[in-house]
Amino acid sequence: MDVEVGDALPEWRVPSVSAEKMKTMAALLADPNPIHFDVAAVRALGMGDRPVNQGPLNMGYVMNMLAAWSGGHDRLRRFRVRFLRNVFAGDELCAGGVVTAVRTENGVRLADCDVVLTGAGGEPVLKGTATVALEPVTKEKP
Amino acid sequence: MSERTTPGPPPADPREQVGRRFPGGVFTVEPWRAWLVADTVLDEPGGEVAHPLFVWLAATGAMGVTWDELFAWFGATADDGPMFGEHETTVHRPLRVGATYRVSGEITGADRKTGRSTGPFDVVGYRLRLHDAADGVHVADCWNSIIFPRRG
Repeated sequence: MDVEVGDALPEWRVPSVSAEKMKTMAALLADPNPIHFDVAAVRALGMGDRPVNQGPLNMGYVMNMLAAWSGGHDRLRRFRVRFLRNVFAGDELCAGGVVTAVRTENGVRLADCDVVLTGAGGEPVLKGTATVALEPVTKEKP
Repeated sequence: MSERTTPGPPPADPREQVGRRFPGGVFTVEPWRAWLVADTVLDEPGGEVAHPLFVWLAATGAMGVTWDELFAWFGATADDGPMFGEHETTVHRPLRVGATYRVSGEITGADRKTGRSTGPFDVVGYRLRLHDAADGVHVADCWNSIIFPRRG
């Protein structure tokens, strides 16, 4: 994989965040926070009238972007993000990033990246850094 | 996971909880759960390597307390609207679908702050470690912070 500092990571888009998938995620997480499934609770907290996407789902979109670029989920070594604002049902999102360093550690080529998840207006909702291996680190069975 | 507990009043100082250890537990990346998580996060289901989101899912799913119980350690409930602050996943060996992981960890930090627009809030950090139950290898770490609004 030919990678250089400054390379942009291919964008990975979510056309419209799904309220239904938030409900599935709430059940999978056993997450009692009603802002993810109960619009009345969201209104009561003064947060608008659309459910709030789970932070892990927002992270997952960026992880998908990294896997699509690097060759698989087994490439991820480190992933650190700060949550800057809420994502609501119906929002359009775009995950992207840029390579900030290419190095070798224990014989494995790694790429350090700045990553970001932005809303339709280009405002960041999540920002951080990630490190991915530039070659396979696990062997799949044939 | 254990049953819910009734939250108490906010602790006078959230730092009193720093160092408190999670009971811990075990988490298996069941194929059905791997499929549903992949579908929910708009990824392609299938394959042997679990989505890296499972580091967070396994860590928090087997930390040994419910979210309500963790919130109660800091005198909060889900209705207070606790929010994600920061997250860090470190993968030493990719998680596998079908594998079982042991989880352990502790509260690493707690601070009370006041924002101009948000008012008072607490920032709580916690770290969880994953070990493969089959061979004992330390495979991943998960560090997070939660923001607890303190609306009075």
